[in-house]
This record gives sequence, structure tokens and C-alpha cells, in this order.
Amino acid sequence: MGAFDWTVIIKNMPFFMKGLLTTFELALVAISGGLFFGMLVGMARLSHIKLIYYPATIFVNFFRSLPLLLVIFWFYFLVPIIAGRPLGDFVSASVAFVVFEAAYFAEIVRAGIQSISKGQEQAAYSTGFTYAQTMRYIILPQAMRNMVPSLITQTVVVFQDTSLAYVIGLKEFLRSASIVDAREMKSLEIYAFIGLVYFIFCFVMSRFSKKLEAKRGAAK
Amino acid sequence: MIKIINVSKWFGTHRVLNNINEEIHQGQVVVICGPSGSGKSTLLKSLNGLEPFQEGDIVVDGVSLKDPSTNLMQLRQKMGMVFQRFELYPHLKVIDNITIAPIKVKNIPKKQAEEKAVQLLERVGIPEQAQKYPGNLSGGQQQRVAIARALAMEPEIMLFDEPTSALDPEMIKEVLDVMIDLAKSGMTMAVVTHEMGFAREVADEIIFMDEGQIIERGTDKSFFSDPKTERAKDFLSKILI
Ligand SMILES: Nc1ncnc2c1ncn2[C@@H]1O[C@H](COP(=O)(O)OP(=O)(O)O)[C@@H](O)[C@H]1O
Ligand SMILES: [Mg+2]
Repeated sequence: MGAFDWTVIIKNMPFFMKGLLTTFELALVAISGGLFFGMLVGMARLSHIKLIYYPATIFVNFFRSLPLLLVIFWFYFLVPIIAGRPLGDFVSASVAFVVFEAAYFAEIVRAGIQSISKGQEQAAYSTGFTYAQTMRYIILPQAMRNMVPSLITQTVVVFQDTSLAYVIGLKEFLRSASIVDAREMKSLEIYAFIGLVYFIFCFVMSRFSKKLEAKRGAAK
Repeated sequence: MIKIINVSKWFGTHRVLNNINEEIHQGQVVVICGPSGSGKSTLLKSLNGLEPFQEGDIVVDGVSLKDPSTNLMQLRQKMGMVFQRFELYPHLKVIDNITIAPIKVKNIPKKQAEEKAVQLLERVGIPEQAQKYPGNLSGGQQQRVAIARALAMEPEIMLFDEPTSALDPEMIKEVLDVMIDLAKSGMTMAVVTHEMGFAREVADEIIFMDEGQIIERGTDKSFFSDPKTERAKDFLSKILI
């Protein structure tokens, strides 16, 4: 191990942490925004009204068949045009991730809603609930429970995917590594460290998901 | 109170309701029986607009279900419904199962709704279960909670879809007793059931359905002692052991 110089990690730790923070911020925006819009789109996918069902279905199928990298690039050029002024790489990346992830979360939400029996919906309607009330108080709370494992899996995927925002120059975790590497020329150490951090986060999340599933299994 | 006029319904090309005509008056108890798949559930669910129908009309308290401007949400508040598989909300405690609709739909204050819920639980004989989750109750208890949940909206009409057929035999009576009480208190009821003891005790009319049609109707006495159609005779011989 003599050839390796780990001090480069310690020395640049504040810089790495800043990158990691950006990664977490982007992941948080992508997951909360993606889940919010995914919920709307997921419900729209189950609508009997064609004018709601078709746009939602086209949206989902469209974004699920594009590479994320392309979508990131695309919004990088598109967002300033729509906004009429440059909004920075974080905003562009956020918009791209929210739109892209919404398509994936929509499918998770749709499956979650479909896992709840039709009888629950009918029971709610029979007491005078509106569609929105039925969803909010009866169907979604139950569906969310069933969705937890898939949501955590998707969270892990989103966390890893945020590294792609590197291509538009966003100083997230991976980008911070390449910046340090350009200066210090210690690629092996730096990328080993970065990899370890990604691995630890994802490993912990997947263990957490397994635990939750085991707990749910036991509760049944 | 409820008028069913020439109602027909298709699922795709399959006609599940075929020219149904029926009137249910205030305070009446109508029992609907017939073989599985004959359209009983579909008919019951069309009464509160859970199942749309293509032909005919259903008029509840002068309000037409065919009329697109009818507010179904408002109409359903007048009609409580009890399902074969209970359909309690598993993520809510018993008390919240009962209070959620009064609170969210009728904007009744939480405290008042809970007092009412406790009274209803007493009425169905399980006040001690209020803080439990439905999954921890027996089937008979769950169905009684479901009745309390429906009653919490103070409906004028109660619809029951085979309320005892998912229950173990020893629990059937506890649910039927609650229903008999309700019938005797003057509630208007439409009950899909094969519990002929219940029918004998409280039914004002019994209708027998087969393949989407009402093929026989009568009072409890005439229906049991003198069924006119072969299908009804056959059916009765199977369920009256
Ligand atoms: N959602 C549905 N889609 C298609 N066919 C249905 C649906 N629900 C019920 N049916 C059919 O309609 C007929 C009547 O069903 P139902 O009203 O449940 O009968 P019952 O309650 O008398 O057993 C059955 O043949 C059933 O298969
Ligand atoms: Mg049925």
C-alpha cells in the first residue's frame, strides 16, 4: 500500500463534502419532485378519461425510453430557452431529474394503487367521498406502504444517477473528484474513495429496505 | 324512495342486468337472492352509482341517477353500504374508520364524530374495540364495524351485499341480529343474502334474480311456501336444507 497516498483525501475533504452535499441536494429534489409529479401522473395513468390517460401514458413511455444522459443535456439547453435566461446548472439538472424520475415514480405509484383492492375504493365512495378524498385518505396511504421497497430502490438509483449531472458541469460529488484529480493526479485513491461513499450509501439503503420488508412480512 | 325503471346493464357484450323494475318504499326491507353471477351485486351497486348502467333509470328520493348533473357524492351520503368482504380501511383504527367520512364529507367536528362513533359501536355491541385496528378483529366484529361506519353518515337507506357470506357460521348471528334490529327500527334496506331466517323475520319483499332478470317476487310467506318458477324452487331446495 506504500504507493498509495491517502492524505489527498483528507486534504480535500471539505471540497468533497461540498460535492457530496450538492449530490444529496439534487437527489432530494429529484426524489421529492419526481414522487410528487409521479403521483399525479401515476393516478392519471389509471384514469378512465382518455384526455387524462393518454397524455400521462405517452409521457411515461416517452421518458422511460430515453437515456437519462440525453434528458439532462436536453434540459440543459431547453430550460434557459423556456425561462428566457440562464438559470444555472443545478436548476437545469433538477428540472431534468424531476421530469425523468416522475416517469419512473409514476409506474411505481400506479402499481401501488393497483395493489389496493377495488373494494376499498367502493367503500370510500359509498360514504360520499370524492375521488380526491378517496385517494388521499384511503388509497394512497395504503398504496404508499406497499410501495416503500420500490421507492427505496428507486431512491438508490436516483442517488447513483445524479452523478450523470457531471456532464453539464454541475459540481456534484463525482465532478468534485475529477476536479481534485486534475490537480493532484491521484486517480486511484480519489475514485476508490468516491466509489466507497456511493457504495456505503446504497448498501445502507438497501439493507434498510430489506429490514422494512421483513418487518412488513412479519406484520402480515 | 327508490324506483328502478327498466334498468339494463352490459359488461362489454354480456348483459348482466336485463330490464329490472323494482320499487323500494320507505321503511321497507327488500331481500334479493339468486345464484352467483345473477347480477345481485351489480344491481345493488347501481343503486348508489358505483356501477353505471346503460339503459333505464334509477330514482332515489326524486333524484335521477341517469341525469348527468346529479351529484353522486351527495346522493351516496343518503345510502350506506355494507360489503361482503367488509372493506374496512386497514390503516385506520376502528374509531377512525367510522369517523373519517363524517369528518371529511360532512365537516362534523372530530370530537362530536367520535362521540357518535362510540354510540354506534355500542349499538353494534363492540364499544371496547374502538382503538384497535380492523386486522385484529374477528370477521363478525369487522362486519359490525362496517355497519357502524355506514350508519355514521346517518343514511336513509342501507344496502347490504351478502354481509354474512364471508363469515364463519358462529359469527353470522351476531351480524344478523344487528341487521334485524336495524330493520325493526324502520330503516329502509336492500339486502342481498341467502339467510332465509333473516328474510322470514324482517323482509317485506323477496326478489329472486337469475341471469340479470328478476324472475320471481313475493312476500316472504308466498315466496317460501309457493315459489312459482322452477329456478326459484330449485334454488330454495338447495339453500333450505
Ligand atoms: N367488472 C366486471 N367486468 C366484467 N364482468 C363483470 C364485472 N363485474 C361482474 N361481472 C359479471 O357480471 C355478472 C353479475 O355479477 P354480480 O353482480 O357480481 O353477480 P352476483 O352478485 O349475483 O353474484 C357476472 O357474470 C360477472 O361475471
Ligand atoms: Mg355478489
